[in-house]
Amino acid sequence: MSSVPVNIEWLSDCSGCHIAIIDLHEKLLAVLNEISIQRCPVLTDVKDYPHATLGLISGAIRSEHDRHAAEEMRKSCDVVIAWGSCAVYGGIAGAGNVHTCADIFDSVYVNNKTTITTACPHSDKISNLEASVTPLDNAIDVDLYLPGCPPHSAFVFDALLAILEGRSPRTATGESVCARCKRRMEKTEVDRIKKNSEGVPDREQCLLSQGYLCMGSVTLDRCMAPCPQNGVTCTGCAGATMQVLAEPNRDIRTEIAERMSRLTKIPREAIVREIEKTSKTHYSYTMSSPMIGEKPTFLIQKWTDEERNDYEQDHNY
Amino acid sequence: MKLEISVHEQACRGCQMCVDVCPTKVFEFDEEKRLCVVKHEDDCIACLSCAYICPSGAITHTGYHVVKNFYRDLAFCNKMEKFI
Ligand code: SF4
Ligand code: SF4
Ligand code: SF4
Ligand code: SF4
Ligand code: SF4
Repeated sequence: MSSVPVNIEWLSDCSGCHIAIIDLHEKLLAVLNEISIQRCPVLTDVKDYPHATLGLISGAIRSEHDRHAAEEMRKSCDVVIAWGSCAVYGGIAGAGNVHTCADIFDSVYVNNKTTITTACPHSDKISNLEASVTPLDNAIDVDLYLPGCPPHSAFVFDALLAILEGRSPRTATGESVCARCKRRMEKTEVDRIKKNSEGVPDREQCLLSQGYLCMGSVTLDRCMAPCPQNGVTCTGCAGATMQVLAEPNRDIRTEIAERMSRLTKIPREAIVREIEKTSKTHYSYTMSSPMIGEKPTFLIQKWTDEERNDYEQDHNY
Repeated sequence: MKLEISVHEQACRGCQMCVDVCPTKVFEFDEEKRLCVVKHEDDCIACLSCAYICPSGAITHTGYHVVKNFYRDLAFCNKMEKFI
């Protein structure tokens, strides 16, 4: 088989998805034999967009530059994969949607506590921000979506191999992170929500049963559950499960609360309220996706305002 | 068309929520293996409550009459098949 030309591009993201290719380890050699990487900002010095069979795009549409780069990729690639949660849902960059662009410029350039700059760079030096962060498919048509932050290399390998061999890749199932987690979900007498930093969780029992807010049950299985398996709650980085995405009346916070209140003695309402108070964390990967952000029940601006008012009251601002 | 229920055993976390929510008591819990077991498949009315509450998404039904869902995010449903 002659090698398949591939273009890879990054938009607003953390570069983790690119680094994750390295996690293919020896399997990378099998893939590299069959593809030729043309444009790839971390590897090659190709500045334009040569024609390619496959295009992998990580990152969200945050700036005018992102939109332009996405359009160029679409024009040059036959198949475009939205690669990683940033491209699929907006990802971490999407959390910028709870702030105005002016606030973001102010925090980054003017009043940044760790730098000495005091003015914003001129717009001919940096690309203008768009009014809000949006997923890749807001700018271009996307052929396949591979969520995960980053997607586990097994899924990347599987997808690449399928496409190289002309098969359709395996599509995502309805299973969640819990399906891969080995913890025991049991009913307990726990009556309050614990902070992640509180105590040392039992090694065998489900974190929800112990009072920790684990998002495993509302998160698509795209990672093999490394976090709960190592004692850390899942923060939902692969995005919501199919049932949450498909149905506007199902939501991350209510689904977790429904299950956690059945496992523990914590009232459902208390769990919903706690997730609202920490919504910037619990919705950080998906809030700029219309599938989550436009749900009629998703009121993050209200929740964060309430949380700030409570904080200011408690601390006598 | 016969309705069938399958439980992906490796995915089952043993929470027993399906046992609790099923209106027709289709499931029983195997304490030793910590797994739910489909005991009375014929009693299933395909309400799908168990499939929705299951934290793992481990329960699937086949061979039931699909009722069109009233509330659907159509934009996402068009993309669903493209999630790999
Ligand atoms: S999906 Fe995650 S790992 Fe990939 S670029 Fe975005 S933040 Fe980084
Ligand atoms: S909620 Fe978290 S800890 Fe519990 S089974 Fe699911 S992934 Fe594991
Ligand atoms: S367990 Fe959750 S937070 Fe950890 S990698 Fe998987 S989806 Fe992301
Ligand atoms: S679909 Fe409804 S009736 Fe059938 S097993 Fe599940 S909960 Fe019980
Ligand atoms: S709801 Fe799911 S995880 Fe819980 S016992 Fe039933 S099949 Fe197992």
